[in-house]
Amino acid sequence: MKHSSTPVNQPGMRAQKEGTRCTQGLVLSGRQWILVIMSLCLTMWMIPIGWQGLETFDPEESYRIPYAASRDYWLYERYVNQPHDEPRVYFVGDSVVWGEYVSKEGTWTHWLNDHSQGEPRFVNLALNGLYPLALEGLLEHYAKELHHAQVLLHCNLLWMSSPQADLSDPKEQVFNHPMLVPQWEPQLPSYHATIETRLSRLVGNHWSWLAWIRHLQIHYWDQKDPYQWTLMDDGRYPPTYPNHRSFPWQAIDWQLEQEPSPDPDRGLESPRHKPWSELGEGTQRYDWVPLSQSLQWAAFQRICQRMVERDNALMVIIGPFNQHMLHPDHRPTFKAYEQEIIQWFRDQGIAHLAPPTLPSHQYGDASHPLQPGYRMLAQQLWEAPDFQQWIKPLKR
Amino acid sequence: MGSGRLRLPWLLLASYVFYGWWNPFYLGLIFYSTLLDYWIVAWMDQCHQGDWPENRSGGWRAFLFLHLKNRGLNQALWCGRLLLIGATCGLSLGPSSLRALATLMCLLGFTMIWAATRQDRRSWLWASMLNNLSLLFYFKYADFFIENANFLMDRLGLGYQWPPAASWMPLGMEYMLPVGISFYTFQSMSYTLDFYRGQLGREHSFLRFATYVSFFPQLVAGPIERASSLLPQLARPKKLQAKAFAEGSSIFLVGLFKKLALANYLSFYVERVYEMPETQAAPALAMATVAFAWQIYFDFSGYTDMARGIARIMGYELMLNFNHPYLATSLGDFWARWHISLSTWFRDYVYIPLGGNRKGPILGATYLLITFLASAIWHGAAWTFVIWGLMHAVGTLFNRLLERQKWFQEKVPTMLRRIIVFGFVCLAWIFFRAESVADAWLILSKLVQGNWQDPQIPWLMVALILAVWSYQWVQQSPWRAWTQTGPFKVCAVIIMLLWLCFFSSSGGAFIYFQF
Repeated sequence: MKHSSTPVNQPGMRAQKEGTRCTQGLVLSGRQWILVIMSLCLTMWMIPIGWQGLETFDPEESYRIPYAASRDYWLYERYVNQPHDEPRVYFVGDSVVWGEYVSKEGTWTHWLNDHSQGEPRFVNLALNGLYPLALEGLLEHYAKELHHAQVLLHCNLLWMSSPQADLSDPKEQVFNHPMLVPQWEPQLPSYHATIETRLSRLVGNHWSWLAWIRHLQIHYWDQKDPYQWTLMDDGRYPPTYPNHRSFPWQAIDWQLEQEPSPDPDRGLESPRHKPWSELGEGTQRYDWVPLSQSLQWAAFQRICQRMVERDNALMVIIGPFNQHMLHPDHRPTFKAYEQEIIQWFRDQGIAHLAPPTLPSHQYGDASHPLQPGYRMLAQQLWEAPDFQQWIKPLKR
Repeated sequence: MGSGRLRLPWLLLASYVFYGWWNPFYLGLIFYSTLLDYWIVAWMDQCHQGDWPENRSGGWRAFLFLHLKNRGLNQALWCGRLLLIGATCGLSLGPSSLRALATLMCLLGFTMIWAATRQDRRSWLWASMLNNLSLLFYFKYADFFIENANFLMDRLGLGYQWPPAASWMPLGMEYMLPVGISFYTFQSMSYTLDFYRGQLGREHSFLRFATYVSFFPQLVAGPIERASSLLPQLARPKKLQAKAFAEGSSIFLVGLFKKLALANYLSFYVERVYEMPETQAAPALAMATVAFAWQIYFDFSGYTDMARGIARIMGYELMLNFNHPYLATSLGDFWARWHISLSTWFRDYVYIPLGGNRKGPILGATYLLITFLASAIWHGAAWTFVIWGLMHAVGTLFNRLLERQKWFQEKVPTMLRRIIVFGFVCLAWIFFRAESVADAWLILSKLVQGNWQDPQIPWLMVALILAVWSYQWVQQSPWRAWTQTGPFKVCAVIIMLLWLCFFSSSGGAFIYFQF
C-alpha cells in the first residue's frame, strides 16, 4: 500500500487542536440534547394551549374571522373548537358566506340568526378567498373537531368558471391560501412553488406551534415577523420607524384584533357596497371547466365525502350565481352546468338547495350579494321546507 | 458508510453535487484545480530537492526535442507539448469563443514543458501558482484590471480599449464569480506549498485529494483547511459517534442562530442606511457601521460554525476560524482571532516566506504591508478593499509601536484597548461595506460633521448586540465556568431554538459567498 500524506511539520496543527473547541462554549452532550428536545416538545405543545387561556376570545353572535386575519388558521381552529351550550349550525364557505361587501351585521349568517333567534345559532365559519382546494386543506388540518355537527357548505360555481380559477391552467398564478392547497397530490398546474416551500407548508399544516406563531404575527406584529415589525416604516417620505423603540413582546395586549367599525371597505356606507351594474345587462361568457376535469369540483366532492364520513349532517347551498351578468346566449350553458352539479348531490343523497337567482341590483359582482341580497337569501333558506326539515333536530 | 470503502466516493459525490447545484459548468473549475495540483505534486515528487540538477536542459531545443530519463517527468513533458500544440491550434484556428480556454491550456502546456525541462521542484511550484492564480485572476480581478487599464489608456490618449472579461468566456457561458473559488484555490495551493517546503508527504490517492479540495461543508466559504490537517483525517476510517453528533449539532446550532437570528436582522438596518448614505445623519451611519461589524461577524462566523458542525457530525475536525475578534486588545490580536484560517494562510505562505520580521523593522513593515494588501485583494477587486487592507496594515504597525511604549502597557486598561480596537475595526469596515470609495468618504465626512438625529435603530437590535458582546466577554472572564454548567447550556439552547422559531428572518445569502 502506498503511503498517504505524511505531515512532517504541520502549519495547521495549532488550528486543528483548536478545532475541538467551540468559542461560544455551548457544546451539549447527548443527554443534554435529549433534555432540550423533550423540553422543547413540551413547550411547543403547552404554550399554544396555555395561550388560549390568556388571550381573550369571546366571539359575539355575528363574529367572523376578520379580513386581516384570513390566514390565521390557528384562530380558525380555536373558533371551531369554541365551547358552546346552544345548538349550532356551522356555515362553511368562501367570501360569499363571509360577506365580501357587507359588515358583519349584514352577512348571511347574521340574517339566519335573526330568523332563528339564536336557536340554532348560525356560525360564520367562512374565510375570504377560500376556494374548494384550500377549503379541503383547512377542514383537514384546522377543523378536525367539526364532526357530529350540522354543517352548511356553500358551493360557489365561480371557482370552476375558467381554468385560471380552477387552478388547472399551467401558467403560474399567485393565489390566496397557498398553504392549504395540496402540495403534491393532486398536482395543481397553476402552483409552481419550490420543493422547499411545499415542504415548509406541509410541515406548517401539521405543526400547530407554527400556526400559533403566525397567529401572533398576524394579530400583534402587523402580519410580519417580529424583527420586521421593529423595522417597519410608516410609508411616508422621509420614512420614520414607529416601532423601533418597542420590543415585540410589548405589542402583545392579549386582545384579539376586531373588525374595524365602521369599515371603509364594507357595509352600507362603503363605496364598494353597490350593485355590479346600473343597467343590469350581462355580457359575460365563462370558459367553464368540464366537471370531470375540474380540480376545484373534485376537491369539493372530496370535502362533501369527508364531511359525511365525519358524521356531520351536511347540506350544500349552491350559488346563487349572478346569472344577470351572463350573456343571454351563455345562460343555457350555465344552467346545464349547474344541473350537472345538482344531479351529483342528488346521486350521492346529500341534502342540497339551489336558491333562485336574486334580483340583479342585489349583487355586488358575479357571486357576492349585497346586504339586501343576503337578507333575502336568509329568508328564502329559512322558509324552504327542506331546510326546516334539516335543522329540525336542533330546534328545542 | 462512515468507515467503509464508499465513504470517500460518497463524500466527493456529495461535495460535487453541492457545488454543481449552483452551476454545474463551474464544477469544471474545481476539478481543474484539483487535477492540476495533484499532478504537479506528483511531478514535483520526481524532481530533486533544492537547486537545479546538473543534467537540466534549457533553450528552445529542449522544448521540442528533449527526452527525459525520468518516466514521470517525460510524460509531463509530452503532455505539455501536446497541450501547447493543441491549444495553439485552437487559438489560431478555433472559434473565438474558445480563446480563454485555449489561452489557459497554452499557459498550462508551456509551464509544464518549462518545469519538466528544468526538473526542479521550484519550477513546478511556479507552474502551480501561475495556473491557479491565473484562473483566480480571470474570474475575480480581470474586470477590475481591464476597467482600470482602459481608464489609463484613455487618459494617455491611446486609442485601444480591452474588451470586457465576459467576452472571453468559452461557448457563450455566463461570466460570473464562481462561488468559493478563492477558498478552494487557496486550499489546493496550500497542499502544493506544504509539499514543496517538505512539510507534507505526497497524497497518492486522487480520490482523497479531490475530497480534500472539495469537502462540502467548507467548500464555499471556508475555513481554508490545510492539507496537513484534513488529509490525514480523510485517510482515517470514521464512525458516526453519538458524542460527535451531539457536539456537531451544538456548533451547527450556534452558527444557524448567528446567521438567521442575528446577521439577517442586522443586515436590514445596515442595508437601509448604507443604501443611501447621503440621506443619513451621523448617528445612523455610526450605528449602521457598528451593526455591520456585527453583521459580518455573525454572518461569516455563523457559516463557519455550521461548516464545522456538519463536519464534526461526520467525524471531522475543521479549524477554528473566529475567536471573539471584537474582544481583541490590539490589531495583531484581532487578526489572530478574525478569519484565522485566512490570516494564518497569509502568515505562513506570504509574510514568513517574504522574511517576516527577521530582516529588520523597515523590511518587516514592508512585508506586513504587502501581506495585508494581498489579503485585501483576496477579498475582492475594488479600491475599497485596498484601502481597507492599507488601513489595517498601517493600524497594526502603529499599534505595535504603541505596545512597545511603557505608558501604554501600564496605563491603558484592557477594556479601553478593546474599545479602541473595535472602533478602529469599525472605521475600516466603512470602506469594506461602502459601495464605492466616494460613498465611504461621504460616510466618513458625515460622521465627522455630526448633525444629531435619532438613528432609529431598533432597540431590540441594540439589546441583542449588547447581550452577545457581554456573553463573549463572560466567555473570556473567570465567570466562564458559570456558563459551562449543564442547566445554563440547556436553557440557552432552548431559548435559542425558540428564538429561531419566532425571529428567524428571511435574509440574503452569506456575505463571504462573494469571495
